[in-house]
Amino acid sequence: MNTTCSPRTNNNTAATSGVTESLRKPLYNVNGNAEAYEVRVELPGVPKSGVKLDLEENILTIRGERSTNVPEGMKALHRELSPLSYLLRLRLNTPVNEDQMTAKLEDGVLTLRLPLKEVAKPRQIPVL
Amino acid sequence: MKLIRTNPFSLNRVSDFDEWFRHPLAGLPSLSSFINNLGEVFPGVAGDKLAVDVHEDKDNYFASFEVPGVKKEDVKIELNNSMLTVSAEKREKDGEKESSYSLTRSVSVPEGVNAEAIAAKLEDGILTVTLPKQERSKPRTIALN
Repeated sequence: MNTTCSPRTNNNTAATSGVTESLRKPLYNVNGNAEAYEVRVELPGVPKSGVKLDLEENILTIRGERSTNVPEGMKALHRELSPLSYLLRLRLNTPVNEDQMTAKLEDGVLTLRLPLKEVAKPRQIPVL
Repeated sequence: MKLIRTNPFSLNRVSDFDEWFRHPLAGLPSLSSFINNLGEVFPGVAGDKLAVDVHEDKDNYFASFEVPGVKKEDVKIELNNSMLTVSAEKREKDGEKESSYSLTRSVSVPEGVNAEAIAAKLEDGILTVTLPKQERSKPRTIALN
């Protein structure tokens, strides 16, 4: 099971009245087996302190704040990297064990492991 | 029959073509989005190049490349004839299956860079190459006597 989604070009612009916060959807990948889901999200430029995770009801929200690592007195000659921060919202259609969720940020990739609740695991039903 | 028209109105056409030549897919939205989608499904197949930012300050040029998920040992940086080429091998694990593809990008290095002193650092999925300017290419103030 492997789903690659989210085009880089689709910028998610969350515009609210007055304040305009521009965010974009990161590239992500979801893998799963009978035990857990693994979500890998590409968040280049985001330090550990810039990642915010939130699971409310069945919506998993991942925010990644890019560090503005352009020091004072530096002039941009060519720009391709987007300075926008990331926002990804995923609706989980399977109950997961929140307490055992783990997250790891390494080389700009966030890896989340969402263990399935017992009820959601596949079971073998013996034939009597 | 004249193949090349010299009337000024045709110049537009020529420059259009020139533009098209440089961005062959720019005028074909359906095709270009198709290619982009392909690139997503099979990264590395179509149009996958590393995005780069170039900055400068008084002493250095900085080239930053986005390389999420790439390990230090999978990055290769080369300077050849004032072209800086960065290649990154991206390995992805999909369950038991491992796949890898490489991303590459070349940028031309301005004159007056001290090639010996180029340094690189990988942090949070961003590769930053620092290219120090040589003494003579730094701005100097010339005193008036």
